[in-house]
Amino acid sequence: MSEYTIDAKNMEEKDLTRSIKEHALNYDKLIIKNPQSRHNIAAGVTEEVKIEIDGSAGYFIGTMIDGPKIHVKNNAGWFAGDNMTKGELIIDGSAGDGAGQGIYGGTVVVRGDAGSRTGEIMKGGTVIIGGNSGFMTGLLMMGGQLIVLGDVTNDAGESIMRGTIYVLGEVKSLGKNAKMEQTTLEDQKELKTLLTKYGFEITDIDYTNFKKITNKSGKPLTE
Amino acid sequence: MCGIAGLIYKDKKTHSVGKSLTSMLGSLQHRGPDSAGFAIYGGLNLPKNHYQLNIEIKNKNELLNQVKTTLTQSSKIFNEEIIKSDEKDNIYRCEIKLENYSMLKQLITTLDEIEDIQVINGSQSFEMIKDIGKVKDISKRYNVSKRKGTHGIGHTRFATESGIDRYHAHPYQSYITPDITVVHNGQITNYWKIRDPLERKGHVFKTLNDTECIVHYIAEKLSQGYKLEETLEAAVKDLDGPFSILVGTPNGIGIAKDKLGLRPGVMAENDDIFAIASEEMSLQNVVNTEHVEQIAPGETRSYTI
Repeated sequence: MSEYTIDAKNMEEKDLTRSIKEHALNYDKLIIKNPQSRHNIAAGVTEEVKIEIDGSAGYFIGTMIDGPKIHVKNNAGWFAGDNMTKGELIIDGSAGDGAGQGIYGGTVVVRGDAGSRTGEIMKGGTVIIGGNSGFMTGLLMMGGQLIVLGDVTNDAGESIMRGTIYVLGEVKSLGKNAKMEQTTLEDQKELKTLLTKYGFEITDIDYTNFKKITNKSGKPLTE
Repeated sequence: MCGIAGLIYKDKKTHSVGKSLTSMLGSLQHRGPDSAGFAIYGGLNLPKNHYQLNIEIKNKNELLNQVKTTLTQSSKIFNEEIIKSDEKDNIYRCEIKLENYSMLKQLITTLDEIEDIQVINGSQSFEMIKDIGKVKDISKRYNVSKRKGTHGIGHTRFATESGIDRYHAHPYQSYITPDITVVHNGQITNYWKIRDPLERKGHVFKTLNDTECIVHYIAEKLSQGYKLEETLEAAVKDLDGPFSILVGTPNGIGIAKDKLGLRPGVMAENDDIFAIASEEMSLQNVVNTEHVEQIAPGETRSYTI
């Protein structure tokens, strides 16, 4: 595997992403040193390259990506993976608000906690939160699956239209148009396949404890 | 957008707060290019009943003498200096002594009646530095990095309402109760509903800036005996709109975030420091940020020493 290291210490935000795009054409893996929580890292990258962020990322890490596998080794700011269509974004630490906002495809994994409005207006793909997720998780969700292994706070699934939210922990309250039910065996099997793939080890009993939040109506805003 | 930052040293000793806030706000410069400011507590070391005034004075003959004449009717002037700010204005910084705190507001009102002067602030336990321009330039102009303190708050402004000048830069101060400052990132949509009862009580508003409204609101609550945390909780209930407000008091800092959490606010702490900022990149300058906490919608956090 060919690797290339970019030291982001004194780079402007746009120069960093330009460098990532250029080197993604010729290398299998890029390592970004000293990311210093910069915003928009790897925005719009379409090569199927591995990108390792050696620290924290700022807002919009991996926004609009279509293909790369990004691994953030510490935290991420707001809107991680915003509008991505294909690829993988794995964050070892915590994420700010709006993780997985508006994604069409691909997978966002936050191993720690996420802020509010996780998976807001997501249309497809998968978002996995290893810890807790905040206010209005799955706000206006239109597709895909959102999995939270910890607790979610108020108004989970607010105005959800399509898609599914799975929660292992407590759900403080449901938002408008959201309903909660037990998972099916089929759901549990799919969850196990997915979570095992990303290294989450939970017991078989835990899989039966997942709650499933979906929409009551398909047209909540017009009723 | 605006950027907010604050930190407090838990050991109650003085540290390089000016330097820390300069680096924290420098990292948030992208959030606001118009102006910036600092309130650095605990390093001023003024004797009891002494106050520091920062007065903006237009470059006009005799104006400074007029200000000094007005000041000397209330107090002897101690430790004065002129800080060059721009082509039009200077900052006249001086120390005065008053018999009681209520005389400070009265003196500032009298000074503000002089044409072409504007009192930026008057304080006992903190130093206010604010100006138009970028963080690093302001910090250099006022030698902020050399200023020590126990804690402080700061701001870099993207003006979305009201004027862009030195007075409208954050922090804002209230004279309802001593040495309360606020920086703010957002908009208060029930501004008049908050302002009206405060005005009825006699509190004077000098601008239409909503941060001025917030600082009077906070100071009023504290003057009624609310603790900082209780005041912040009341602010979450009473203020509408998207906001993160960061409050400085003589012995602490605290943040309140609006009920929908529409403005950012993160915090991190270790054994030495409690720090708050708009973004993690600001915290990285002063504390190990492996564990960053998001301030949740409607949540408050504070630390007092």
